Amino acid sequence: MSIIEIKDLNKTYHVHQKKEGLWGSLTGLFRREYKEVCAVKDLNLQVEQGEFVAFLGPNGAGKTTTLKLLSGVINPTSGSVNVMGYVPWERKNEYRRRFALVMGQKNQLWWDLPARESFRLHQQIYQIDNKEFNYTLTELSDLLQIGKLLDQPVRELSLGERMKMELTAALLHSPEILFLDEPTIGLDVIAQHNIQNFLKYYQKERKITILLTSHYMKDIAALCQRVVVIAQGQLKYDGSLGEIIDQFSSTKEITLSLDTNDQPTGLEDLGEVLEVNLPRVKLRVQRNKVAACISRIMDLYTVEDITVEELPLEEVIANVFAHMSQPSDTDKPNEEIVSSR
Amino acid sequence: MYWLKRYLNIWFAFLRNSLVRDMSFRNNFWLELIAASSWVVMNLGFYILVYQHTEEIGQGSGWHFPEFLCFLATTTLITSVVQAFFMPNAQEFSELIRTGGLDFVLLKPIDTQFLVSFRKVSWSSLGNFVFALGLLGYSVWKMTTAETDPLVLSPIICLLYPLFVLLGIVMMYSLMMILAATSIWLGRNQTLYDFWFYITNFSRYPKEIYSGAWGLPLQYLFLFVVPILLVVNVPARMLAAPFRHQENPGLWYVEWYLPIFMVGAAVVSLSLSRAIFQWALRSYRSSSS
Repeated sequence: MSIIEIKDLNKTYHVHQKKEGLWGSLTGLFRREYKEVCAVKDLNLQVEQGEFVAFLGPNGAGKTTTLKLLSGVINPTSGSVNVMGYVPWERKNEYRRRFALVMGQKNQLWWDLPARESFRLHQQIYQIDNKEFNYTLTELSDLLQIGKLLDQPVRELSLGERMKMELTAALLHSPEILFLDEPTIGLDVIAQHNIQNFLKYYQKERKITILLTSHYMKDIAALCQRVVVIAQGQLKYDGSLGEIIDQFSSTKEITLSLDTNDQPTGLEDLGEVLEVNLPRVKLRVQRNKVAACISRIMDLYTVEDITVEELPLEEVIANVFAHMSQPSDTDKPNEEIVSSR
Repeated sequence: MYWLKRYLNIWFAFLRNSLVRDMSFRNNFWLELIAASSWVVMNLGFYILVYQHTEEIGQGSGWHFPEFLCFLATTTLITSVVQAFFMPNAQEFSELIRTGGLDFVLLKPIDTQFLVSFRKVSWSSLGNFVFALGLLGYSVWKMTTAETDPLVLSPIICLLYPLFVLLGIVMMYSLMMILAATSIWLGRNQTLYDFWFYITNFSRYPKEIYSGAWGLPLQYLFLFVVPILLVVNVPARMLAAPFRHQENPGLWYVEWYLPIFMVGAAVVSLSLSRAIFQWALRSYRSSSS
């Protein structure tokens, strides 16, 4: 049996539509229009024990809502979820002891106290015995290199250091499932890299199941074997990252270094010219025409160097999102004004 | 018993963390302490002033100055505990809802209402608690050494008084939780403090002052519908026993039905606060990331 099973999950929010201006606010005091927003729509998904799954999708696609439903913070409108045999929104203590949620945009540590104090509180709440607590904390602080920072008030830490503390807090009780909501948001490249390395190592060592949402493709490329694309609350793709690239990047980029500074002619016939910065030229060419294109280039110009690259992952994903945001005829619009009160 | 020990341990950790935090902003700590206690001292001064014009509040009620000091001390005891332990949490609760911070509270393998109610402690408000204890001691000394009708303290009363103070705190806590829980539906609850002040204002006086065509309905409203008038009145009249000054107090004035009613009211209001809290949690929608 899968560790996470989601069946026909729906979450609809009732959102008040404020009309423009002061008059709108005044009439809103008496009569309001509400809009139904489907944050999650007929979602079906299974995750096996030990998987590292990425949720990809544009802002407002329903990724965070899905994580919140899985961790039982909010109740669904309909559908069922089974995580390790529990229904998350029943919020059984046995369930809550076995997973953790980290949100990159929110912090749960006491702002004015050293992180160590918050960790001690966690120890009490999660009933971790002293020996295990000390062992885990030492292990985590070695891995994340935060030993020296444990006794500094959290408000004095940098964003990257704070995220490491949040991760530590979440992992103290050795959860079997970890939900990560944009854990690297706002971090610099080095801090992102550190967190990625840590997650990769920890997941491999402990064989825990991790669900991650992120906007940084590097996170996903570095960590996840499986990618789930969600847009408009619906599952649009479920598979490996490689397959997405095959499916959605129909072109490649060819970069040439010519040995002349004269303007070459006939470039337009080869493909889309992205950049001419002599002696460098960048072209975008259909995937299936790359070989033919290169041999023509060799015939036409004297070339010092040539490289062929996949599209940047960001661009591929942007293509995926653009493709998925076009509603097909069968799709109902996911927002409709339903009631006024 | 095991769970009690566990919850107590967690509560001690909250106490400790709050103390460490309060101490790290020591200027703020002293300022709060001074502000809170000067309010209590000014309040005391006001009643000293009132008693320069009259012997007792409410003709024939028996609330002379020492008895009233006992009443005032009881009020301060209860409000200082509520302000130290529950006010910061109730205020933060609406903030947690607005910002979505309640997510983290809901994740913890522990009773959510406990976590919401006890997280923070405002240690500086406990200064008033100490002050109130002193005031209580002084008023009891004054009453027991009075020349006419001195108070005779029975051991039963000495046991019952703290118990009913505790029940009063339970009732105030319940009211506060009910008010705070409504912020789940309102999204924002800045009026919590105002509401709290309006309602509890009625609890600060001996019930005898609510008399006459207007007063009596008010008295019944706050005794039996929103039983806020019981909170201070019941323990205070137990200890101060103002009726001892009356020529023929009779059984009616002992009013044992009020304490019995208060036990019921405390149980009902606590259960109600729990029910409303649970109900409100179901409507929690979290905020977007």
